Amino acid sequence: MSRYVLRRLAQVVPTVLGITLITFVLVHLAPGDPVEVLASGNGDEGYYSFMRAKYRLDEPLLVQLWTYLTNVLRGDLGTSYLTGEPVFKMITPRIGSTLLLAFSSIIVSMTVGIALGVIAALRAGKFLDRAVLRVSVLTAAAPSFWVAQVLLLVFALRLGIFPSDGRNSPGFEGSGFTRVLDTLWHLVLPLSVLAIQESSTLARLTRTGVVDQMSEDHIRLARAKGLSEFKVIIQHALRRALPPVVTVIGGRVGHVFSGAVVVELIFGWPGLGQLILSSSQSRDTPVLLGVLMIIAGAVVVTNLLTDLSYVLIDPRVRLR
Amino acid sequence: MRKILSIALSSLLSISMLPAWSANAATTAIPKAPCTKEGDAARGPKKEKLVCAEVQGSKIWVPRGGDLVVAISQDPGSLNPAATTAGAVHTASELMFNGLVELDDKLNPVPELAESWTVNKKATIYTFKLRRGVKWHDGQPFTSADVKYTFDEVLLKYHSRTRAAMLSALSVVNTPDKYTVKFIFKESYGPLLLQLDVTEAPIVPAHIYRGSDPTKNPANLAPIGTGPFKFGSYTRGAEIVLNKNPDYFKKGKPYLDRVIMRVIPNSATQVVAFESGSVDFLWGIPGPQRARLLARKKVFDTLVTRRNPGGANCMMTVSFNLRRSITSNLGVRQAIFHALNREAFLRNVIFSEGSVAVSPFSKGIVWAWGRNLKLPEYSTAKANALLDAAGWTGRDGSTRTAQGVSGVANGTKLSIDFLHFPTFSAYAELYKAQLREVGIDVRLRPLESGPFSTAVFRNRDFDTNIISYCNGNDPEIGIRRMYDSAQIGSVAFSNAAAYSNMTVDGLFQQARNTLSISQRQGLYQKIQEQLVKDVPYVWLVETKGTRIFTSSCGGFRAYSLFAEEAYCSS
Repeated sequence: MSRYVLRRLAQVVPTVLGITLITFVLVHLAPGDPVEVLASGNGDEGYYSFMRAKYRLDEPLLVQLWTYLTNVLRGDLGTSYLTGEPVFKMITPRIGSTLLLAFSSIIVSMTVGIALGVIAALRAGKFLDRAVLRVSVLTAAAPSFWVAQVLLLVFALRLGIFPSDGRNSPGFEGSGFTRVLDTLWHLVLPLSVLAIQESSTLARLTRTGVVDQMSEDHIRLARAKGLSEFKVIIQHALRRALPPVVTVIGGRVGHVFSGAVVVELIFGWPGLGQLILSSSQSRDTPVLLGVLMIIAGAVVVTNLLTDLSYVLIDPRVRLR
Repeated sequence: MRKILSIALSSLLSISMLPAWSANAATTAIPKAPCTKEGDAARGPKKEKLVCAEVQGSKIWVPRGGDLVVAISQDPGSLNPAATTAGAVHTASELMFNGLVELDDKLNPVPELAESWTVNKKATIYTFKLRRGVKWHDGQPFTSADVKYTFDEVLLKYHSRTRAAMLSALSVVNTPDKYTVKFIFKESYGPLLLQLDVTEAPIVPAHIYRGSDPTKNPANLAPIGTGPFKFGSYTRGAEIVLNKNPDYFKKGKPYLDRVIMRVIPNSATQVVAFESGSVDFLWGIPGPQRARLLARKKVFDTLVTRRNPGGANCMMTVSFNLRRSITSNLGVRQAIFHALNREAFLRNVIFSEGSVAVSPFSKGIVWAWGRNLKLPEYSTAKANALLDAAGWTGRDGSTRTAQGVSGVANGTKLSIDFLHFPTFSAYAELYKAQLREVGIDVRLRPLESGPFSTAVFRNRDFDTNIISYCNGNDPEIGIRRMYDSAQIGSVAFSNAAAYSNMTVDGLFQQARNTLSISQRQGLYQKIQEQLVKDVPYVWLVETKGTRIFTSSCGGFRAYSLFAEEAYCSS
């Protein structure tokens, strides 16, 4: 078991390095450079050559790559061209926001999705089942930017019950519990956009799994033992139906991160998604690479956690 | 089942159609009542305290205190406006700084950190007397050493516009005493006074920056300035809070307690935030949304201006590649100019937020734009006649082909490409449609800014393109680069057409070396008369920006220190 975990953790390094390498090359192959962005339509030859020399952009690509990689291995993610700030310092204040959004939406969609799936399975073929199935097809198909716009128009503009943007109210000065409440209030809409899509996928998967299980022998046995229908479903049917659902949840983590980019932009949520977009637009390579490395690492680790959780759900699984 | 779904959907939709009953409905506009004695106090309609204060040159009753929430579309990353020309940085930070002079609506220099100035006859020595008693936000006194440091170590290195305009001309900045600064030029230099406002030359504190790399100094994220607002806090990607500077050298200003800059990248969300009342001020607003909001005039006010954080007096300009055989022909260029209905661009593309260009220079540079010029008017008949005359008389379907055009093989299709940023695709579609009317085939090539400038300026791989050239405050800064033959090169947004005319080059140099505005005007008039003959570009439309704000706020200015005299009723 621990050897398995170690081996999997060791895979994080080459994965992240590979992503870094590919991104580095791609960003440098694309025309345009950060100096053009800094000049923002002004400047002369003198300015361009001065700035390119300052940021060592005039060196050959391989030299730049070597410098970058050796710095990264020493724990230095470099400095932003645009802000002059160490990349690490730019990323840390935003990680919390993105993790909050991503993981709260995973938890909510897991709870809601599995619950709806079980309810639908219990009422298989009846009205409630059909309602869950149809609504989930609709919500899974609706693009997230559209869902976001509708939620904004209805709940922020017309009803005015949730804020339209940000993680806290403008100029918010409270701390402690009031701050947490303010954040949760701001979290509702962006969280909903992500959770609506994810939960509909999970609901359908859970429903199918549980319905399949219900016709199995072990369920008939459990019923024959005189267990309550609730216990039959939760302890016997759901437990057997869960592994594929957990696989999907694990696989969706990357999806949630990429969904978070869109959602962060629409709701002005101050996370890594905003940073990805702005740094790729401004060709701020060190920042872009830094963020992508962190996200790649996070996805690899959550996939590992997913695999480990099989052991808990299904005692027959042995990891080697 | 189907019924329930449709009921749910339609009720959701109908909710979104209902009028908003949120914050804005309750706001009351502030009566702009004049008053006589500064400092007097009165009570407003909501029993709030009003004071008699100066706003844009006239004395009116304004409320004191309160917050202004401004939406900005980008996290600026840095708050040092001296080290960059990036619009996002300037929008977020200029309120904390000052220039030596400020420019009024007519672009006349007025005193700011400099109290007065003199210029010698040859316009080679400018002497500024600095205002005494000005303090940096940390309490240190402001002196001539700050000005010298800012120019030598920050502006002339990192501010791309100021560097390009002044570095080669300036000999030295001298500080004879603590309150005097002398700019000494190698040759006569006319435009200096238009390059010293907080956008072109914000002054930063030497005692904070000296000895450090100004692009990496921690003060870039918590700046110390002299401006009407002090730095409060900066939450990355979320907001920047500025607090009132109680020791501001303009006594009694500013009127607001706080200005909160809120990062909202999505413009649709900005509008929702504005309509729901959590944001008070937007820098701009997408065309269709604007018309809808303006219909509710009682709740919102607007300020239409040629000045924008990214640059002032911007003109949408079509460049012809003068080094390509088709577009090097004057008749073809004139024909394309005639074929373009510029009124239609104004109406359909920018929703009348601007005006049709009447001269090569923006009308916003009030003294320099060309008078009585006749730009080619919209006429497909004239366009067709010119194309016939140029030898494009054959037909292949609806497209013209060459029949004896010099430098082009007979039978060649009259087909040109058009490079544009994806954001300018509405211009591109209309351009293509209008040129099709006269038998010109246009291939659209949408490119992001990096690939665009590589293709246009480095590789010269284009026939025509569209660029928003911001003309700036002075032709020397924003216009010369488009026509000067020395500026044909790989630098982005320089001479895209590769226009080269010795006379025009000479006139630009002469205008730069002249101090008198009226003499410079004469020189620029001559330049523009020549340009209209040569048609290296199509001067399409001048664009404007619309600031929009709740009517419970007022006193905004179009330019740099936009909220210095702003006020909001609580």
